[in-house]
Amino acid sequence: MSGFVGGLVWGLAGGMLIALATVFGVWWERKVAGRIHMRIGPQTTGPAGLLQVPADTLKMILKEDITPAQVDVRVFRLAPHIVFVPVAMSLTVIPFASGFAPLNTSIGMLFFLAVPSLSVIGMLLAGWSSRNTYATIGGLRAAAQMISYELPRTLSVLSVVVLAGSMRPLEVMEAWRPWWILANAIGFLVYFISSIAEVNSIPFDLPQAESELVAGYFADYSGIRWGIFMMTEYGAVVAASLFGAAVFLGGWRWLPGAFGVVLFIALTLLLITAIIFVKWTFPRMRSDQLMTTAWKILTPMALVQLVIVGVIVPWM
Amino acid sequence: MNIDELRDHLCGQYPDLCPLFSIEFGDGTLQVECRGLYDAAADLKSLGFDMLGMVTAVDRGEHFEMVYRLTSREMSVGMFLKCLVPRDKPHTRSLYDLWPAALWQEREVYDLFGIEFDGHPDLRRIMLPEDWVGHPLRKDYQDERIIKRPDYI
Amino acid sequence: MAIVDRVGSALEHGPGRVVLSSLDALFDWARSHSQWVMPMGTACCAMEMIASFPFTKFDSDRHGVIPQADPRHADVMVVAGTITRKMQPAVIRLYEQMPDPKWVIAMGNCTVSGGIFYYDTYSVVRGVDEFLPVDVYIAGCPPRPEAVQDALMQLREKIRQESIGPNTRHVRKLTLPGPGESRASVEPSEPGEVG
Repeated sequence: MSGFVGGLVWGLAGGMLIALATVFGVWWERKVAGRIHMRIGPQTTGPAGLLQVPADTLKMILKEDITPAQVDVRVFRLAPHIVFVPVAMSLTVIPFASGFAPLNTSIGMLFFLAVPSLSVIGMLLAGWSSRNTYATIGGLRAAAQMISYELPRTLSVLSVVVLAGSMRPLEVMEAWRPWWILANAIGFLVYFISSIAEVNSIPFDLPQAESELVAGYFADYSGIRWGIFMMTEYGAVVAASLFGAAVFLGGWRWLPGAFGVVLFIALTLLLITAIIFVKWTFPRMRSDQLMTTAWKILTPMALVQLVIVGVIVPWM
Repeated sequence: MNIDELRDHLCGQYPDLCPLFSIEFGDGTLQVECRGLYDAAADLKSLGFDMLGMVTAVDRGEHFEMVYRLTSREMSVGMFLKCLVPRDKPHTRSLYDLWPAALWQEREVYDLFGIEFDGHPDLRRIMLPEDWVGHPLRKDYQDERIIKRPDYI
Repeated sequence: MAIVDRVGSALEHGPGRVVLSSLDALFDWARSHSQWVMPMGTACCAMEMIASFPFTKFDSDRHGVIPQADPRHADVMVVAGTITRKMQPAVIRLYEQMPDPKWVIAMGNCTVSGGIFYYDTYSVVRGVDEFLPVDVYIAGCPPRPEAVQDALMQLREKIRQESIGPNTRHVRKLTLPGPGESRASVEPSEPGEVG
């Protein structure tokens, strides 16, 4: 399959993967968060609360669709899709199994890092079109934060690219060696923290800031339009975890065949759970602390990682 | 510092305020004419009372009694400052220039008693809706919305 | 709600009675098991409500109830605390911002009837049902967090009776608890019975 039809099919598959990831991810997050709080998460709806998220989704679909009177209607309706589509697209360059990456392009790594940044435009549009002071503030904060954390994330993945000698996803996986985990340890830490910032998860959720801005840039969205923002957030978490598990932790390289894929999924789940743990443990950072972390702490760490890798490569 | 020491300190610094100072139930009260309220308050502030904790009023029938609670952090002592405001066209000088805490407290007194404060930058109702008529904490406040509690024996 | 409403009315007048009851069962299940609450807490009852909602001892998350601070994302508004005349326009405004379908739980004596402020006061609204359509009342001053959870469960039962067809209501025969029983028993309605 190539061209338009191929793109359509893989795009739909990516969207469905995000929807499934959200259904599982929200349930998993509420259960893990419950256990962190020493309580049980969703329990009543379905066995072990597994039907909780389908119930939530069905309810959201049946909600009244409010478009407030003062918003810019076309932009307001377009913004959730601008936020969602780049994240869905970024799932296509992840190497899922040996010989299988939906889009095995020669700039794969760059594609994964650059394309989700387009959602920033969507967040800005969502905040701006709401014609609501606090939504606009949330949108501006989101833009500043996402742009700032692009740099350490890209630099940390760059060190993997330097070690692999290529940006094509499957070639990176072919070149992966177990000692890369040690060599890229600092880079992995930087990647982990920057990914949490990219998906607007606590401690970096200033754009949402539940106790402050009351949902920030998606404050005026109701029903399934808001659901699209939530799906984007979970989709981004899953994409970042998949990518981190593949490129930093080796993914399916440890075991042959199907066992490798199962291990890959297990590593992804581990990273998702780590993100959930961080989310429900730490308080929120202020904007100046956020910017300081990005520019003064994470970027130098990523540069140090690059230097380390640069020293190692001639000896490979 | 305790109240007697405060009385001595006050009498030493401002002898003309001394006869107005009385001690009841262990707390000191300075009772002044409302004309001289601002000057007395300024004197007390330079004496060391840097914190205005409460501004309120009591409807005594023929007049309102303004009550100010002043606290000094360095001297660790508090006292009351009182003045009597006549009932018709009640007004007195605002103490906002001395203690900014008086801003909303005086708005509350205006809202509930109707006492106007000259020199207050933003005198309007604070706890009741803007279009309310009447001042509820006066003893002669009538409102048909109030349901009186029945007396059960 | 518009599309679902039209579909509901269309199905009601056609041969769709069976479809409607199945759809109703599904939609009511979804709505009743996923109540997102907007905590409109003004006074002391807010403390008990905070204890009940996401916090650990009286966990409401296991019933699918999560607090949403933004009214546009919420289904249920729990008015907890005394509502004064000055606060009334704000509560109305937030209620109007909630999307349909929405419900209101009046928590605590002040929102039910004015509570201890019924007599001798000029500024308290005597019961939130003066300006909001209340679905469940919780008595108590303040009610215990278990009472709040019980109210959410009763709201769940109430939502189960609703229908997307505007002239249909699934009537349940409610028998109040006898001595020694803890819950009322509910029998489903006869097929075709309209309330």
